[in-house]
Amino acid sequence: MPEIIVKPSDLKELWEMLPGLPAARRYLAGGTDIVTADNAGAESSECWIDISGLPELAAIKETAGALFIGSGVKISEIENSKAARKWCPALAAAIPHFASPSLRNMATLGGNAANGSPCADGVCALVAEGAYVLLALKGKKRRLPLRELFLGPKRTALKKDELILAFEIPKRPHAGVYLKLGPRAYFGISKAAVALTAELSGGTIKRAVVALGSVAPVPLLAVKTSAWLAGRQLSPQTAAAAAAMVKAEVSPITDTRSEAQYRREMCGVLLERALGGLR
Amino acid sequence: MNNKNMLEAKKGFFDITLTINGEFLELAVKNGEFLLDALRRHGWKSVKKGCDTGDCGSCTVLLDGKPVLGCLVPAVTAHGRAVTTIEGLGTVRKPHALQEAFVAAGAVQCGFCIPGMILSSKALLDAVPAPTEAEIRKALDGNLCRCTGYVKQVEAVKNAAKKLAGKRRA
Repeated sequence: MPEIIVKPSDLKELWEMLPGLPAARRYLAGGTDIVTADNAGAESSECWIDISGLPELAAIKETAGALFIGSGVKISEIENSKAARKWCPALAAAIPHFASPSLRNMATLGGNAANGSPCADGVCALVAEGAYVLLALKGKKRRLPLRELFLGPKRTALKKDELILAFEIPKRPHAGVYLKLGPRAYFGISKAAVALTAELSGGTIKRAVVALGSVAPVPLLAVKTSAWLAGRQLSPQTAAAAAAMVKAEVSPITDTRSEAQYRREMCGVLLERALGGLR
Repeated sequence: MNNKNMLEAKKGFFDITLTINGEFLELAVKNGEFLLDALRRHGWKSVKKGCDTGDCGSCTVLLDGKPVLGCLVPAVTAHGRAVTTIEGLGTVRKPHALQEAFVAAGAVQCGFCIPGMILSSKALLDAVPAPTEAEIRKALDGNLCRCTGYVKQVEAVKNAAKKLAGKRRA
């Protein structure tokens, strides 16, 4: 753990203090990833900037067209937000599978994204929700489709000192599903996960977004399968064909958690189940 | 740099102020120390050091009323916040309803996971006074017990909820 930990009380103060801090610095949000990395010897900052006190990151806000979830909002607060449950059904479905209740009281969605892991449950669900990420570096702000934030395992498009402010989720009535295959029903890291959102009209899928976790270098948007699903009848045949298609879109690896071939097969199984679970 | 929000270790120690079990205290925490280790070093031995990797839940404490894992909280970040350990819930002479219910149900075997489990249960009952079995199991999801099969802990939480509801009615 670094010898210097600073806790700015708002964004203005954060930007002012940056020039005076050691160059090897990182943001500390919930700490659940960075602290574990530090304990494992994989983190060597001289300074942590505790951003848990920044009011600008702490709220869930709504406008007419979008829901904004602050990057510092705890996962458990999202779990208890009516607006988040309404406009982000796939994210809401993912939360019970996100670590454990105590970790959900610590972890934030911003940290989940900044950590850049392809297995991040919150991020995978948000990609399926069509979320954007709002970033700031001093006065400079930018807005990216969330999936463009991820460049590779643990690699993101964040510049030095750039901060995730919030996630913007366009308001559109849709159904959402999140299915995760882990070592046990709850509290595990996924071998494979599928997030699905769909706008339905009668038995027809008007628009669908399929995102997958733990089966590619980044949280994966299944572009081809998502596009193919648009306009299809919701049926067992559609689900089976989509399952076959998604298996060709993923690029899983064999690691300590699972094997590549098994993961690929399970992507098909999970998507078929997810489509079967839509209402 | 001189900043009111900057905590810098002096001779390897940070001085922080926080509330522990309702008492406002100044605590010297070591540079690099976690809340779990700081609490144990200062005598709050109910907070158990199990896995030290955020998996087992035996180091659970309430931070501003919500269960968190002491092994992953840098102690200095508890500055200005309120910590509850099981010492703050009840004593042997005057136990909390949850503590009584755990004993009565025979939910305690080796006891190592119990402080964390009771604190998670306390946070649940504070938010949901009459939880369903599914809600209890979900709330205890991150508290691992290697002696029992969780049946009696779940029963204990149900019984404590009933007892507390009776107290509120009385």
